[in-house]
Amino acid sequence: MRLPIVIFVVVGLSLGAGLTVRGVSRLGIHQGYSPEQPIAFPHRVHAGDNKIPCLYCHSAARTSRHAGIPSASLCMNCHSMLEKQTVEIEKLEEAVQQQRPISWVKVHNVPDFVYFNHSQHVVSGVACQKCHGAVEQMDRIEQVSPLTMGWCLTCHREHANLPTGSFQRAALSLSTKPTPVAGLDCASCHY
Amino acid sequence: MNPSQKADQAAPSCKSGKDDLINIRTPDAPTHWRSVDELRGRARRGGEFPGGLPAGAGPGDSSSGGGDGQGHGEGDATRRDFLSLVGFSLTAAGVAGCRAPVQHAVPLTVGSDQMVPGVSTYYATACAGCASSCSLLVKQRDGRPIKIEGNGESPLFGGGACATGQATVLSLYDDARLRGPLWRGQPSRWAEIDRAVLDALAAARAQKRPVVLLSGTVSSPSLREIIAEWGRRTPGFRHVVYDAISTSALRAAAAESFAQPVNPHYAFDKAAMVVGLEADFLGTWLSPVEFARQYAVLRQPGPNRSFHVQFESGLSITGTNADLRVPLAPSELGLAAVALWTRLSRRAGGDGAAPAAAEPFDGRQLDAIADRLWKHRGESLVVTGSQDVSVQRLINAINLLLGNLGKTVDLTQPSLQRQGDDGAMAELVQKMNSGQVHTLILYGVNPAYDYPDAGAFIKGLEKVTLSISLADRADETSAHVHAICPDHHFLESWGDVEPIAGHYGLSQPIIAPLFDTRAAAQSLLTWVGLGAASDPYHSLRDFWQKNLFPRQTRTHGFDAFWDQALQLGFVTMPPSSPTSPPKLPTTPLPGEGQAAARAVVASQTAAQQKGAAAAAAGQAGAGYELHLYESVALRDGRHANNPWLQELPDPVTKVTWGNVAAVAPQLAKQLGLRDGDVVAINTDRGQIELPVFVQPGQHARTISVALGYGRQKVGKAGQDVGVNAFPLTAMVDGHRRYAATGVTLQKTGRREALASTQTQFAMDGRPIVLETTAEELRKHEAGVEEAPEPLPTLWKARLHGAHNWGMAIDLNACTGCSACVVACQAENNVPVVGKDQVQRTRIMHWLRIDRYYSGPEDNPASLHQPMMCQHCANAPCETVCPVLATTTSSEGLNQQAYNRCIGTRYCANNCPYKVRRFNWYNYTQNDAFDFNMVSPLGRMVLNPDVSVRSRGVMEKCSLCVQRIQLAKNTALKEVREMVDGDVQTACAQSCPTQAIVFGDLQDPKSRVSRLLDGPRAYRVLEELGTRPNVGYLKKLRHVEET
Repeated sequence: MRLPIVIFVVVGLSLGAGLTVRGVSRLGIHQGYSPEQPIAFPHRVHAGDNKIPCLYCHSAARTSRHAGIPSASLCMNCHSMLEKQTVEIEKLEEAVQQQRPISWVKVHNVPDFVYFNHSQHVVSGVACQKCHGAVEQMDRIEQVSPLTMGWCLTCHREHANLPTGSFQRAALSLSTKPTPVAGLDCASCHY
Repeated sequence: MNPSQKADQAAPSCKSGKDDLINIRTPDAPTHWRSVDELRGRARRGGEFPGGLPAGAGPGDSSSGGGDGQGHGEGDATRRDFLSLVGFSLTAAGVAGCRAPVQHAVPLTVGSDQMVPGVSTYYATACAGCASSCSLLVKQRDGRPIKIEGNGESPLFGGGACATGQATVLSLYDDARLRGPLWRGQPSRWAEIDRAVLDALAAARAQKRPVVLLSGTVSSPSLREIIAEWGRRTPGFRHVVYDAISTSALRAAAAESFAQPVNPHYAFDKAAMVVGLEADFLGTWLSPVEFARQYAVLRQPGPNRSFHVQFESGLSITGTNADLRVPLAPSELGLAAVALWTRLSRRAGGDGAAPAAAEPFDGRQLDAIADRLWKHRGESLVVTGSQDVSVQRLINAINLLLGNLGKTVDLTQPSLQRQGDDGAMAELVQKMNSGQVHTLILYGVNPAYDYPDAGAFIKGLEKVTLSISLADRADETSAHVHAICPDHHFLESWGDVEPIAGHYGLSQPIIAPLFDTRAAAQSLLTWVGLGAASDPYHSLRDFWQKNLFPRQTRTHGFDAFWDQALQLGFVTMPPSSPTSPPKLPTTPLPGEGQAAARAVVASQTAAQQKGAAAAAAGQAGAGYELHLYESVALRDGRHANNPWLQELPDPVTKVTWGNVAAVAPQLAKQLGLRDGDVVAINTDRGQIELPVFVQPGQHARTISVALGYGRQKVGKAGQDVGVNAFPLTAMVDGHRRYAATGVTLQKTGRREALASTQTQFAMDGRPIVLETTAEELRKHEAGVEEAPEPLPTLWKARLHGAHNWGMAIDLNACTGCSACVVACQAENNVPVVGKDQVQRTRIMHWLRIDRYYSGPEDNPASLHQPMMCQHCANAPCETVCPVLATTTSSEGLNQQAYNRCIGTRYCANNCPYKVRRFNWYNYTQNDAFDFNMVSPLGRMVLNPDVSVRSRGVMEKCSLCVQRIQLAKNTALKEVREMVDGDVQTACAQSCPTQAIVFGDLQDPKSRVSRLLDGPRAYRVLEELGTRPNVGYLKKLRHVEET
């Protein structure tokens, strides 16, 4: 009489525990996150069809830790010349006319205790797609990579060309151009 | 104590085996000590974590549990605990299914090529923290000024900045600032106030009644021009300059001695012999950053090292740096000057016929000082902060006699840094009380707080028809005025400064005004009727075009001249009057010295008689003297609401959050006083009650009290912190005196706990600070000294990456000014914890300055040692961390990963340097810590490149790893190798004397490598085998020759 209840409780608890462990281990990972944006901006049309370089709009990625979202005035560099009108472009024009900032939803987030610098990676020749996926094929931006520390380190370990011996160190100092070395120290990203 | 012997003790060899490694030093006979208690071997208060870690031991942190004490013990798990665990698991499961909160990114609608998000830019400006008007660089990030640094290009001030100047950036984000103008205490509009003011001014003009502008020292030449315009347009207009801490006697004496009413401009870098008489020129006097920089030039080891003698009653940071310090009572200061004058005039061949005066000094010592001064004629300097004109005149005569005029004392380009006229202020108060003043405009002053007779001032203020204050907050004075028209913070406004005649600084807004405030210049322009024609920017530009541009020949167009000045932050030009400079005497006028000396003796005798009379009157505890001094952090009190400065330990007493009555150890013993005993100090001006602090080096009969505390209306942080000692200052012979005789001292029986950091984080008498002498250095150079044997180690050698970062700190150059402490706090988002937590040894500063004494307690030698994480190659903290949260990086940094730390605090326990700090609370969200970090406005000062640490994690100095990473990134972008000097930590950058040098130890040619290879280099506790990357250079002591 009591057995079914016990079985039910045990099965239920283990199922719950399993789900919890799985859930907790994925806590804070938002792979596949693709929120709706205030203006349905299609990267496919801009970066894909029209082949606008990423750094034309996200120019801060060359110099700053933030890639930066272009200001609406930058969009108007082209859109003031284009005749094509859509509902979405009207939203942009309205924002410019009213001097109203556009509140985009941030897709790629790392925790506050992580310092990630775009410029360091761009200058070192890491392609934007390496982390952001094939943005030029996306209509709405989606987080492709997990952005976990393990994922960062996979790449950093590949490029951690740390000079270990005096010979390598001498070779490094002889070369005129410094070799970008991916850091593996905690303080490369956490401070 | 023989210093060489001391150094030998300090570097124990390891020849006799492992026992020496353990028994480093018996702690019972310290050569260096930090407090009288430590010297006398009394138990110091607490350890690093005294009293364990009681739950809820601090201010109400809701989660720390309330009813402990009677609650259940540990291991007493209850049903409630079980339920809370179950609750936690369910919540965790729930959370796992949730999404993180949506974050937004809002770009500018119209982009700016000047401002890239995430990239800091630096703008040159001039400091308004005090009248020194140093040149600054302000770091701006995403539109917000977040850090202040010195302008390295400035020939006067260099790259350093004082603690107060750096902390002014936090005052910008002060919640107590007014949001807009007030009319009779009610929020108002600018237009309405302007109308009222213009009507009143018209009435004043019609009635021919005086209009007075009462201001502090106006450093701005363009503002002085606007004030001159007031004089031209308003009949009966008067400008009264009032400084709470005045140097009016200095100017009055210069007027008498040299016929020039100016503050001389001193050159400490040309003075091989410096004598200071109660002038804290490294801490607060006139231009401390500039003087510290000059002073350090000749303090380096070598044949040209300067000798510095300081006569003073309380121990100031200038006194701690002196080679010879003579404690004296304030009333004896003049007699010391007379004694010096007598000896010097005798050496000059004069008859030395000075009036006979009792000499309460060691005559042989004075002979030696006079000999040294005489030997360095033309390259010596005697300065005094005395407010007695006759003493100042005598000092002028001494400098003349020594031929220092035109060499170390410059009158052709004088200092304009303090211009207060005490006599004019007294006259104004009288006129206000007799109802003669119609309109009074107050700018940059707070007499209701800091005027000796504040009551009379307030009474007078109430008789003024219209009173207007330009203060940024409703302070003690503004509470009594009709209109408060808040001025911008200096980081929000245009302006200029002229600290030294001919040296002009330009200041520019770094941020748009945060509130509905208005620049003082704009208000003054509007009310004088020029509001429509001009604004502060254009009036400033016009002034520079008319007055400064024609005086230079290098740049042709004004626009280019202006842009250059704006970029550089300053211009230097010849003195403004092109006519021949005034003829200055080369030798003292006959009889001038004697006359001054006679005057000094007369006035000092009067003062001492007064003291003696009080003692004779039979009052208990009478016959003491009081010495009031400007606080190094708060200055005259205007920075009292700045929590960084309130929590900055005083460089000498190390007391935070309040002022104390410093008494000599001898006196304390005699009266049975201990630290924290509250005493009543009575002078003929009034009484204050303050806790006692037993201060080694204090003059035996003198009590020293810092000014600037005890503000009543300033804001939450500074309200009622300490006691206001300004009422005890007095006007004597038309000049404000900061000393009193005939003082009585009485115990009240009460006690007040002091928040002093001086006995905290003690390292138990181990050899931490080392000294050396010129003789020893010579021996070292001659190779006589044996190289110590390398220490045995159990650690494997570690291979470094591309760099091995290290730091060298020169104890000989460090003056203890504490600029680095604030620089570190600003750079690294270090929270303020408040008085209660400081008492619990929970101050969060990553960088502290330990102050050690050696020698007799009535006049010890002092030493300042900046102490922070030593970045050991073999770090004891690392081996005990159970989660590998602290590790050594490939570049030699001891790195702390906050997100990994679980807060065991084992590392802090195991750190021999006691430099790790634990976050006991969430200082950003806990209302009990109502300082800048819990306020959305105050948080604007945070550095976005450094994590704000949360409760329960350990933190410590990172050697500004964010700056290292930035410099590496910059080199990478510029496709070049890093060079020495690319990285500067915040502390090294801020140091006025460049006592801190940072760099790559792997590069043998870097400055830091060369310094740490030098003869004075040592590592703290190197016998422990920790191999720190931070090294120190021994303090050089003059061996007493006299």
